[in-house]
Amino acid sequence: MSTKINSEQAVRRAVQAHSRRVWRFALALSGASDVADDLVQATCLRALERHHQVTSHDRLDSWLMTICRSIWLNEVRARSVRRAQALSVTPEADLVASGPDAETNIFASEVFTQVMHLPEAQRETVMLVFVEGYSYREAAALLEVPIGTIMSRLSNARRKLKTVMQHEAAGAAQRSGK
Amino acid sequence: MKVSDDTLLAYLDGTLDEDQCRAIEAAVEGDAELEQRMMALDPIAPMVQQVFDKLPSDVPVIDLPEPARAGGVLRLVAVAASAAIAAIALTFWATRPAPMGWAEQAAIYQSLYAPETIAALDSTPALLDAQFAQAEQRLGRSLNRETLEGLPGLELKRAQVLSFKGKPLIQIVFADEQGQPFAFCVIRQGPAAPNRDVKHAVLSGLATATWAQDGYGYMVLGDGAQADLGGELDVLMQSFSG
Repeated sequence: MSTKINSEQAVRRAVQAHSRRVWRFALALSGASDVADDLVQATCLRALERHHQVTSHDRLDSWLMTICRSIWLNEVRARSVRRAQALSVTPEADLVASGPDAETNIFASEVFTQVMHLPEAQRETVMLVFVEGYSYREAAALLEVPIGTIMSRLSNARRKLKTVMQHEAAGAAQRSGK
Repeated sequence: MKVSDDTLLAYLDGTLDEDQCRAIEAAVEGDAELEQRMMALDPIAPMVQQVFDKLPSDVPVIDLPEPARAGGVLRLVAVAASAAIAAIALTFWATRPAPMGWAEQAAIYQSLYAPETIAALDSTPALLDAQFAQAEQRLGRSLNRETLEGLPGLELKRAQVLSFKGKPLIQIVFADEQGQPFAFCVIRQGPAAPNRDVKHAVLSGLATATWAQDGYGYMVLGDGAQADLGGELDVLMQSFSG
């Protein structure tokens, strides 16, 4: 029996394997978990529809990310941004407040909130590189920008996040030193 | 460009000036190994990764349509089966009988006629008038009714409009002196149809004679394979030759 799988099977497996990663990316793009849910669903359906476009079964994760981002930019973003402005939706920091103690949860919530408050271009880059582990050049290809742009976006993001972390670290030290 | 870890850390810490930053970025762009070193030294990335890696707590529920059922071996079987069907169909096509012409079809139909079929027909002059009017109108030419009524030993029973591949086909049925069916058929084949000399054949167990002239096809059908069509054929060919 051949172990060769067809492109539809490959896409179904990729959807199973990478759905959490796509969801995180969708969350970073949209800033709302319910939009992320819909975005992941739409992404996976679209990927399945286009399985015949798959020429290589490698790196289907980045292909899914590309589809997700395309759907976000072309089909979802405008109405989600309008909704966010209308309702002043704040990033759902409680999503990450599941740590073993309050200190960890406060820190996690703060990092989460700061990342979600980054400009969209920095946010999606941080998510791909810092969280998902794509190299700079992979992220550059995925987002269709030069590597230098990726690196400068990350530098800007680091600068903002560093102050948060230093502040949090100082606060934690202060609280524990009481 | 040789870049030390200290320089990379300074870049990541945001303490290099603009020119130094651009130089580092240019170096990384052309050096995947340097890129990997820088990524490994990044102090912020692991913290962000740690926070977001927990998300989402549950694997997203994705609703995908079911795959097509015929997969793997089943699909191979299906392909083999359809190939076999195609081969069989091709064999039938290659060995198929020649497409049946109007004469063969008309002969099959006529062969089903029994004496009772025509004995039961209503052949009043008024009805025949109506049948001939309709048949001649469909056919686009006269059916020389006087000639048909004057055929020796035959009683005109009915003119019926049939159709073969969209062409009007008129069947005129007679009863001979024994009450056996006898038929004369005319089909409009169109002006491009070639003339054909008379041809005798036994079709569906009936003695037939067919010919074609001026866009019309004609056929005389006797009762049984041994029927002698000579007398009627001569009269009809003469009558319909103009």
